[in-house]
Amino acid sequence: MIHVENLWKKFGRFDALRGLSFDVPEGSAFALIGANGAGKTTTIKVLMNIIEPTRGSATLLGVDSRKISPRQLAQVGYVSENQDMPSRLTVEEYVAYLRPFYPTWDRDLEASIARQLRLPLERKIGDLSHGMRMKMALMCALPYRPKLLILDEPFSGLDPLVRDEFMEGLLEQAGEMTILLSSHELGEIDGVATHVAFLDEGKLLFQESMNELTGRFREVRVTLEIEAARPAQVPNEWMHMRTIGNVLTFVDTRFDENELNERIRSRIEGVRGVEAQPMALRSIFTTLARAARDRAA
Amino acid sequence: MIWHIFKKDWKLLWTFVLAVASLHWIAAFILFKLGLFGENATLGMLSQAVPILAFFSSMFLIAAIVHVEAIPGVRQDWLTRPIRRSDLLLEKFLFVIVMVEGPIFAANLFQGLASGFSLRSTFLSAASYVIFLLFFMILPLFAFASVTRNMTEAFIFGCGCAFVIGMFLTVTEYVNFSANGTLVTVTHSGIGWIGEAFRFALVATAAGIILILQYFRRKTATARALVIAFGLLILTSQFLPWRPAFAIEQRLSPKPAAGASAMMTFEPARGRLRSPSGLLASATKVQRGRADENTEVFLPLQVAGIRNDVVLLTDRVEVHVTGQNGEMVYHGNGEGLEIAREGPNPVKAPVYQEIEIPIRAYHRARDQAVQIRLDYSLTLFGLSKSYAMPALDGDERMPEWGWCQTKMNEAGSAVELHCVKPGKGPGCGTAFLENASTGGRNPARSNCQSDYSPYGSRPLPDSFARFGTNLLFRDPSGLAKFPVDGPQLPVSHVVIRVYEPEDHFTRSLVIPQIKLSDWEAQ
Repeated sequence: MIHVENLWKKFGRFDALRGLSFDVPEGSAFALIGANGAGKTTTIKVLMNIIEPTRGSATLLGVDSRKISPRQLAQVGYVSENQDMPSRLTVEEYVAYLRPFYPTWDRDLEASIARQLRLPLERKIGDLSHGMRMKMALMCALPYRPKLLILDEPFSGLDPLVRDEFMEGLLEQAGEMTILLSSHELGEIDGVATHVAFLDEGKLLFQESMNELTGRFREVRVTLEIEAARPAQVPNEWMHMRTIGNVLTFVDTRFDENELNERIRSRIEGVRGVEAQPMALRSIFTTLARAARDRAA
Repeated sequence: MIWHIFKKDWKLLWTFVLAVASLHWIAAFILFKLGLFGENATLGMLSQAVPILAFFSSMFLIAAIVHVEAIPGVRQDWLTRPIRRSDLLLEKFLFVIVMVEGPIFAANLFQGLASGFSLRSTFLSAASYVIFLLFFMILPLFAFASVTRNMTEAFIFGCGCAFVIGMFLTVTEYVNFSANGTLVTVTHSGIGWIGEAFRFALVATAAGIILILQYFRRKTATARALVIAFGLLILTSQFLPWRPAFAIEQRLSPKPAAGASAMMTFEPARGRLRSPSGLLASATKVQRGRADENTEVFLPLQVAGIRNDVVLLTDRVEVHVTGQNGEMVYHGNGEGLEIAREGPNPVKAPVYQEIEIPIRAYHRARDQAVQIRLDYSLTLFGLSKSYAMPALDGDERMPEWGWCQTKMNEAGSAVELHCVKPGKGPGCGTAFLENASTGGRNPARSNCQSDYSPYGSRPLPDSFARFGTNLLFRDPSGLAKFPVDGPQLPVSHVVIRVYEPEDHFTRSLVIPQIKLSDWEAQ
């Protein structure tokens, strides 16, 4: 559905994207995660042909993003936290304005989304709160059943209630749609995303399915017979190593239940016990972000 | 989808559109109520301010229309919608034409019809005016607004451009002044419209390229560079050389052979100019804006080969004064001449070509034998129509001159003749007071402007030309006596003679050996 290859974007001397490559499989909910300034929004804006890449290519729906036409845009829904819409039109007027541009616009679906999101149709867009505007943007992106829905930081600045309403509205209509979602709010993509890509300073650190990612990350706690010390040889996949008393903890980024004990005992002596806990996505993200920062330092 | 987008823009901008349209309509109403003599001081003041206000608000409206779907920027929702760029561009153009030019057209139409002009003449002048505004204001601003993302940016960028233009014009004026007016020759002359047409062609080309680049490629940096490049090109177009521009005007002469027999010769036998007051004798002038002083010489000329009922007007006199060794003493422009041959027995007043020479150059060469070459670009106007109207409280409509009224001035010394005409005003005309019963007539007042533009080329205040003159019949000092004086006015007429350009041509006159000092005024 989306194919990005060796994508570069320079703003003056600053490289916002540095050779980014990833693929979004059809039917997936693909989360693009990374800290602020990692290049998520830039990537999305290149995909939407809002900005041009400096080098490389991005295709969506099989078309080069630079040549994206109204035909493709009619199949793409786009919701962004900083989307400028005509503030002097009412919600109803703007929705009515958008309708004729989309041949597949479903008015019943529009009405049902409006009800579900509890949008004040008669209110001017300029008078809407940030949360309402986000819900409205979602409402303007769903009634034509887009093949691809792109959400750029959709949860930013939303209170929990609005966030839930937004998610419910989204998930209810998701169906077969492919979703590309950027966020630094990891808690929000947990349970939504099927795939995840991690960006750091314009580079892709990894891309994999959620199942694989959560499957290979474990917080490992090793209890030793004596005072714990950092082993001389630490494999790269063990990150964020700490010692407290006779306990050594680290994050194993290539967890394999069958091999863990053996890998630990071959490197550390006097092991009394090993516990491996699944990690929340937030913890995985934090671990990776720290590792990236350490590498940069 | 053009109409669909149009309706949305109307929903967003109708208050702004109506406010601007109201200003134009108010301006038209004020100008209409002001009448020909403009006696109401308040209306007179408003007639100056409101059209300017309306004009500037139209400029802001154009920017607002474009900024509804701003091109630069990365946050606009419309960029992610399946809106065809060609539809958007056409809609914006249509909206600007209908909502900015439409009310201006309507205001001019109202004013013309309310003033009693025919629908045809009013319609044509209003249409010509909005077409002029299309090139003068609409297209440049449309293109300009498309490279800015909002009104603040447009205003700041616009102020920057105004500053650069102001600086350029100031420097140009200074340089042109230093070159005795030989650099900028076309711009403020009768053939200035050729330079203007060239600029309009540049504006249309620039606007086309910039708008296509913006709406289809969104190349704002390139488009901004083009705005600056074309802006500079348009500014430098005022250096358009005279000869090729006048050659174009010559080709457009309505009667190309009419001036073929016209001749200009140096007539030394006529002697020096005798200034009645003596003020011109050995005159030196301090030039405006400069410490340099000029000395004037007056060369007597014989103008022959022109028939009666014509006016011969110089569009430009290029002067070369060359010293004995071939060095250039002076190169500049001479004063313009207007030679009228009115009526069956015209008075052939002596003609003197005035040349202002910087005093330093003059003192270097005053007693040397110098050669003077005068290159004349001339236009012959032939009598086209003649009208007469009562000298007092006259109210006439004349097809080629417009609607005129006459009245006595407050001092009781002159008849005021004020006129208005849809479109471009008459190019050349004379007016004088004539007693129909005695045949006595006062000296004619000439109103000949060297302006051969085929269209009205003033953006403000509207599509109408307003002009007039005062015809003296009494000298308050008592020194002069007029053949037609106050008591004769009730039986007198104002005679208006309309002249139309017939031929544009050039003549060169070389005076091989003269001393400048011999031709100062006495």
